Amino acid sequence: MENRSYSPNQTTSKLLAIHIDPQILNDIPEGTIDSSIFRSVPANEAQFILLKKKSRIWVQLPDGEFCDYPYYVKNISKLLETFKFYSLTNNSSMEAFQSFIKSTQVIEKKIFSNVSMGPGENVKDLWDEIIKKVNNISAQSHSLKGLVEKILEVPFLQNFQTSLIILHLKGQTKAELMGTMWRSERVHSLIEVKEFNSCFNTIRKSKIKSFTTDSFSKLNLPFNGSFLAKEVISKKYSLIAIVSRHDFLNYGTDEIELFETCIDLLQPHFERLIDQEFSDKKISELRVCLKDFPLPLRIRDSQSGSSFMNDLFNDELQDQDIFFNKKIKGPFSLDLYDSDELRHYAFDLFHFQRISLLGELLNTLRHELSNPLFGLKLSSQIFSTLDVNSDDKELMAEIEKNVDRCQAIIENFSNLYQIQPDNQPVLLKKMIDESLVLAKSEIREVSKKINYSNGTESIQLHVPLIFVVQVLFNLIVNSAQAMRSQTQRAELSINMSIFENHVIIDISDNGPGIPDDKLINLFKPFFTTKSQGTGLGLVLSRNLTQRMGGNLEYVINPHHKGACFRVSLPIS
Amino acid sequence: MKYILIIEDEILIQQSLKKLLERKGAKVDVSASGKMAIDLILTNNYDRIICDLMLQDISGFDVIEESKKRYSTEDIGKKFVIMTAYNSPQVLSRANSYQCKLLNKPFDNLDEALKIMTE
Repeated sequence: MENRSYSPNQTTSKLLAIHIDPQILNDIPEGTIDSSIFRSVPANEAQFILLKKKSRIWVQLPDGEFCDYPYYVKNISKLLETFKFYSLTNNSSMEAFQSFIKSTQVIEKKIFSNVSMGPGENVKDLWDEIIKKVNNISAQSHSLKGLVEKILEVPFLQNFQTSLIILHLKGQTKAELMGTMWRSERVHSLIEVKEFNSCFNTIRKSKIKSFTTDSFSKLNLPFNGSFLAKEVISKKYSLIAIVSRHDFLNYGTDEIELFETCIDLLQPHFERLIDQEFSDKKISELRVCLKDFPLPLRIRDSQSGSSFMNDLFNDELQDQDIFFNKKIKGPFSLDLYDSDELRHYAFDLFHFQRISLLGELLNTLRHELSNPLFGLKLSSQIFSTLDVNSDDKELMAEIEKNVDRCQAIIENFSNLYQIQPDNQPVLLKKMIDESLVLAKSEIREVSKKINYSNGTESIQLHVPLIFVVQVLFNLIVNSAQAMRSQTQRAELSINMSIFENHVIIDISDNGPGIPDDKLINLFKPFFTTKSQGTGLGLVLSRNLTQRMGGNLEYVINPHHKGACFRVSLPIS
Repeated sequence: MKYILIIEDEILIQQSLKKLLERKGAKVDVSASGKMAIDLILTNNYDRIICDLMLQDISGFDVIEESKKRYSTEDIGKKFVIMTAYNSPQVLSRANSYQCKLLNKPFDNLDEALKIMTE
């Protein structure tokens, strides 16, 4: 173009004024058309108008003449480029258009020269046939692989042996090569994304689109010889389409043109099938997850009546076993069936809710009781300073002491439900004493034997006092309640010792003990033998000790009548 | 002789404190309601105002805010003693912003609490 001497202004005025149907502009990706090759103007000022009618492009002249071309992006750009060329080399726009028509018809004929034309057939019919075929194979293809194989059915590709695509989904580390060789053999392999990208760029920059396998040795293509390649890019993937005759002859420009057109036409179908296979893959991954879901479940499709069941679902499950039903989306609903596991999970949740409610209640209770108790304490203190006889004074002192006790109990209980990151060391003895104070009413008539050995009396533990007290309180109350109805004198013993850097607290009684058949459920939530029990005490206690780095176990001792629980707590 | 106002809706606490403070030689007015307390503060000239935070009608902080009509911030810091059972960080920081003394209910040490109220 350098030897042409048009000034920019002349060029602009010489450029054809064209109006392009907004529908066409919508279809063509940005950047496909070089807008400097024509002047885009409103329809009433245009020398030519490009229109879209079904699968054709119509060129409308000011005097009303029409000419149609197969509709695809490449054709539009070609039309516009040709328009420009002729408008720059001809004097009037009409002349330009005439030359343009002539020239494009020559191009079209050239394209179809190697396709046998029957009598009465013309170029437009052949285009139609190709478009029909492409639409046809796209409609018949339900998988990407199928579509790639069927590309070879397009009329002008009938001499070709191999059709491949190399697909790279954005974000994947490998590109996937798939397709057919010798029209029968299926091929599939993976290609490093680095190699894929370098080939993709080479193909994108190439104007001829005709290559040989030698220049793409890194791709390890499964054939030798020359081939045609065309790149396709979209938001989610990049793709190289390859066809080859398995020979070393060069391809004609007509074949190249046609192949590119064919891939252009197929692009939306690639997109559709890739999308579909994407989501198929997602669905199958989801299915695997649901299959492994640890509870029996079924997803029903009320529209088709079909349902999906996971591995734990079995035919014995009835509608009345449905524990939980929820509409998911559209016609789908999810059924979760009752099972031991579900109870376990659900009760964990209920348990948690109950505990937090309890915590709130205790907090309110503490605040509501604190004030009147404080009033009682103050007034009893007034009486203790009055000049009254010593009996009355003692009585007042007793009131004050009891008020203090009430206050302490409330504080202790509400503290149990607050987690205090309190790392102050606490005397083991203090823990035991506090637990006994809290359980005082329960163990009123029980004889207590508290025994500290290995110097445990003065040992200090770096664990929250309230946790330990809650655990010990639970165990002491359990023992006391178990011994309540026995005729023999109830005995509770608490033995402290040291074993492997842990303090061992054994709490045993001379009650009925725990029958062997109940042992297995002992630490399961909501398992209880008491009529008023929650079945939470031991679960919570074990949970708390484990959180402190210790444990809670039941000690089986055939020589000992009664129950024995062992709490272990870390010393440092 | 100190002139003290006790604002406390728990009658047992209110009356006991009144007695204890009177024994220390103070003249004591009481109010169970916040609004009534405001009237008293604006009318009388108290040396010390002992104020519970959780009242039935308004909060102790509201009483302090209303008292600003008569007293400077500095006076408020000196005159008011806040009593509370809810020593949450928010309450503590708000009480601190008035620069006044704070007593937790129940009192850890009655004699010390009385000393703070009468000094």
